Amino acid sequence: MKTYLLNWRAEAVKIWAFAFKNWIMTKRNIFTLFEMLFWPVVGFLSVGLLAEFAALQPSMKAFILVGVVSMGALQVCQLDVAYALLYDVWSKALKHGFVAPVGIRHLLLGSMMIGMIRGGLVFIFLAGASCFLFGFNFAGRGFVPVALFVAGLFLNAAVVGILVCILVLVFGNRAEVAAWSMVSLMLLVCGIYYPVSILPAWVQVISRCVPLTYLLEYFREFYGFKPAGSHVLIKAYAMAAAYLGLEIVAMKAAVTRAKRTGILLKLSE
Amino acid sequence: MIFAVEVKSIRKTYVSGLIRRRRKEALRGITFAVPQGALWGILGPNGAGKTTFLSILSNLIRPDSGEVRVLEMDFQTRAMEIFHGINLSSGHANFLWSLTVRENLEYYAMLYGLSGRQRRQKVEELIALFNLTEFSRVRFDELSTGTKQKLSLAKSLVNEPQLLFLDEPTVGLDPDIARRIREFIQDLHHRRKTTILMTTHNMQEAESLCEQVAFLKEGVVRAFGTPQELKQTLHLGDTIRIHFRGSLPAAILDRMTGLYRVLLQGTTCLVEVDDHRRRLPQILDVFIHNKIMVDDVSVRRSDLEDVFIKLAG
Repeated sequence: MKTYLLNWRAEAVKIWAFAFKNWIMTKRNIFTLFEMLFWPVVGFLSVGLLAEFAALQPSMKAFILVGVVSMGALQVCQLDVAYALLYDVWSKALKHGFVAPVGIRHLLLGSMMIGMIRGGLVFIFLAGASCFLFGFNFAGRGFVPVALFVAGLFLNAAVVGILVCILVLVFGNRAEVAAWSMVSLMLLVCGIYYPVSILPAWVQVISRCVPLTYLLEYFREFYGFKPAGSHVLIKAYAMAAAYLGLEIVAMKAAVTRAKRTGILLKLSE
Repeated sequence: MIFAVEVKSIRKTYVSGLIRRRRKEALRGITFAVPQGALWGILGPNGAGKTTFLSILSNLIRPDSGEVRVLEMDFQTRAMEIFHGINLSSGHANFLWSLTVRENLEYYAMLYGLSGRQRRQKVEELIALFNLTEFSRVRFDELSTGTKQKLSLAKSLVNEPQLLFLDEPTVGLDPDIARRIREFIQDLHHRRKTTILMTTHNMQEAESLCEQVAFLKEGVVRAFGTPQELKQTLHLGDTIRIHFRGSLPAAILDRMTGLYRVLLQGTTCLVEVDDHRRRLPQILDVFIHNKIMVDDVSVRRSDLEDVFIKLAG
């Protein structure tokens, strides 16, 4: 193994570079603050108030609030991973990053650092608000389930964020819309507001391929909703880890393809 | 001889369109080798393949076929090692818009693994070198074109590259800033012995900076050599304009060597020669020998622009 790979300090600095970039871009751009607060809060309040109006039982309210809060945190966290590439695309500086000795691992880990901070803040804020406004305590069944749930959400966010990066590298900046629409698709199939059992059978097949479905089932089990299968947390983590591994391979292939088609250069012009 | 760049028969065709496939041959078999420590130029009209060529050398584009070796290594097996030794700077510089000059330099220094004091020193050194101190806290999107270009050059030196690619480094700049950047490139080449491969549309720039130039057209190297060699190969000489009195027999200069063309316009004689320093005394001797009074003599040296026009035409 080459010397530079053994240089862990250099590795850490390269990872920090992506965190540094996302951090500065986040703090200097008002729209990123909007992303953190406006849409998650609007979604959370709409759904929470609807649940109040419909006078849902506490368990049903818990079902819906778990969904809407996790959506907010996941969306914000996955955006940071996608932004690691999109900021360079929007500033037409992509080529500079691709002539530097960095890999996908640096991009993923660095952007996830900021993604987890932002997503974590959204989760804490919305979880606090759900306790204060709607009487639902996320930590009511202990902190370990919450920690496992949130860590799973971040893993899912990494999967979605890298998928967006792959799509941008394959289809160019037309695909950047995926950064915002991908989570909305998950909203439909993963049972954010309803159990997946009410979906048509063929959609349920898709639902069962998304780790978020299992993760939500895991956390909702604490509030009396029986999951469709066993070992849902293990399934959620294993599936997300497997997808992440496959995506890293796919992203390397996407970079190679982008170099072959010239998209990498076009994204820098 | 150690070569910083060696390419053999590289070809690149861009394919676009999903239904109607359009193909554009950007490079059609380029073979080229740049020795370590050289400062060479790539010239050619728009669409000649210059940027594609530099992009292949920096691994931003993969060629369809052919061999590419940079710093005596292959991108297929040792890309990361090569990246540590190369860097690039482009005209129309673009960087992260919200980051200041200092932050942009810090960010790219981090991408090369520079940490702590080493990084701070490097960033300070580059800020001082390019007179960017007063802009160090200014965001990229608030910088002038010239300052952006200086930042681009500064960024290209964060890893002290052995091989530097400059893609039109002075395009769109005011003459004074362009001159300073040219001086800097020359200094970089002489002091640090950095191998530099640059593209430019500015022929004076190429002539003053580049030891050798390759002229690309339609994806092929059409001519290669020193600016002087190119002029000789294309029979582009210096033009001597002589105003005289009386009449000049047309055949008077025919037997002289080193003459490409002789044109008589009344009392003005235009003589195109291979080298005016060698031929002018001989021509004047002929005039004196034939008792023809010379009123005025002027010389226009051919330059790379003439080479460009001839090759691009």
